[in-house]
Amino acid sequence: MIGQVRDVPLSGDPASRYLPWTVGLLVFLATLAFAAGMFLASAGDTWRQDLSGTLTVQIPVSDKADRLEQVNAVAELLRTTPGVVFVRPIPDAEIAVLLEPWLGKQVLELELPMPDLIDVSVTRAADIDIAALSARLAQVAPGTVVDDHAIWLRRLTEFTLIAETISFAVMIVILISAVATVVFTTRTGLAIHSDVVEVLHLIGAQDSYVARQFQNHTLRLASAGAAVGFLLGAGIIWLAHVYGGKLSGGLLPELALGPGQWALLAALPVAAVLLVVLTVGITVKRVLGKMM
Amino acid sequence: MNALANGVGDIVRFENVGMRYRLGAEVLHDVSFSLPAGSFHFLTGPSGAGKSSLMRLMYLAHRPSRGSISMFGRDVSTVPRTELAALRRRIGVVFQDFRLIDHLSALDNVALPLRVAGAKEGQIRNHVAELLKWVGLESQIDDKPTTLSGGEQQRVAIARAVIARPQILLADEPTGNVDDDIAIRLMYLLEELNKIGTTVVVATHNESLIERFKHPCFHVEDGLLSGPGVGVRNDRDPGGDQ
Repeated sequence: MIGQVRDVPLSGDPASRYLPWTVGLLVFLATLAFAAGMFLASAGDTWRQDLSGTLTVQIPVSDKADRLEQVNAVAELLRTTPGVVFVRPIPDAEIAVLLEPWLGKQVLELELPMPDLIDVSVTRAADIDIAALSARLAQVAPGTVVDDHAIWLRRLTEFTLIAETISFAVMIVILISAVATVVFTTRTGLAIHSDVVEVLHLIGAQDSYVARQFQNHTLRLASAGAAVGFLLGAGIIWLAHVYGGKLSGGLLPELALGPGQWALLAALPVAAVLLVVLTVGITVKRVLGKMM
Repeated sequence: MNALANGVGDIVRFENVGMRYRLGAEVLHDVSFSLPAGSFHFLTGPSGAGKSSLMRLMYLAHRPSRGSISMFGRDVSTVPRTELAALRRRIGVVFQDFRLIDHLSALDNVALPLRVAGAKEGQIRNHVAELLKWVGLESQIDDKPTTLSGGEQQRVAIARAVIARPQILLADEPTGNVDDDIAIRLMYLLEELNKIGTTVVVATHNESLIERFKHPCFHVEDGLLSGPGVGVRNDRDPGGDQ
């Protein structure tokens, strides 16, 4: 078909032969980095939501006779504390589940001395003085500790922020690598086909006409590579979702992305291809701009 | 100032033009001349004298290092780069080595100027086929340049140069690779184009052609332009027409 003629014979170029592979690999890595960043962001949010607005009261091991009485007294005192909306002593079986990743399923049969735990929910607006509350509870049950998870929350926030930043930085570096590769490939193509490009230029082709020749060629190759790279990356993420929970033994939240996050992830190869095509256009125009 | 609008009627106008490649020595010095619309000129001179450099300036492949060049009444140094492409479309060029694109058929090579100008594909094929028939290549329409003889390649190059109806046709040694019979046929072809209003400049070594076809002749030697041709104004050559 006459309308499908490509004036610049780019398809046989050695440099562009590797373009789909390069773009595919980079999109694969960028997909994983982007997914890791989004997973860490949502995991951090989940952890923060789970922990903020909650207190854990820990009553040290005591004689079995006093134990129930102490727990009830502490719970009662907590219920009368302003800002507290929910108080629930955690049953031994539930504590055993929490300890299971470290001590195994037979934790209850070991008859280990375990502290009593009380799960407390407070209103978000409540500004409870933790030290004063601890002192009051210690009068009822000596040694009682109130944990508002502040240290854990701060460390968690710092950790997830650093990890997210690293993930997104890795993704940006990967995309910059893609741009650099494409600039090199395009410049090589321009050098190889300088005769044809000069003829097009001299018979009156606008720079955009020549650039489109390169962009169409790159669009075809990069799209194929990006599609394969994304599908491979998505496959790895799906495997992590299926097997990640089992491998982490419940220590980590579920390795899953929401529909919105999948949509963002699916936009990545499209954005990468657009970036690459845009880079080709700019590169060609910059090189041609040196001609009269 | 618009020279055409001022009644000068020149398609090309050079004023004290000098040219050098990068930081090398000047290859053209103080070239001043003009070409009226519809004229036919030869450009002669020994190899390396500056004929091709002068042609390059005229088909806007190179900027002058000094002086000014007007094409179609516009000073090319002040024309925005995006508009230079439109100016180039008004210039047809037959390159010395033809510069056909090997992977394209004769038809697609000739179609290039129309395609870059944004012509509709539906109109291109008939128009190009008609022109290739005119230059005697109707049976080689789908052939690649590498399968064509030198003379056939040359005719494809000429067809490409004229397909978009340029106002000026610049042919750089168009008869360099063909025998005398084909060279003469080619000259008749160029004269036909000239008769329909195309300004023609033919750079050539071929003295017999210059003798046979009586057209004004510029001469370049050591980067200086001279000659009895119409519109020649060379400050260094008092013998040239002013």
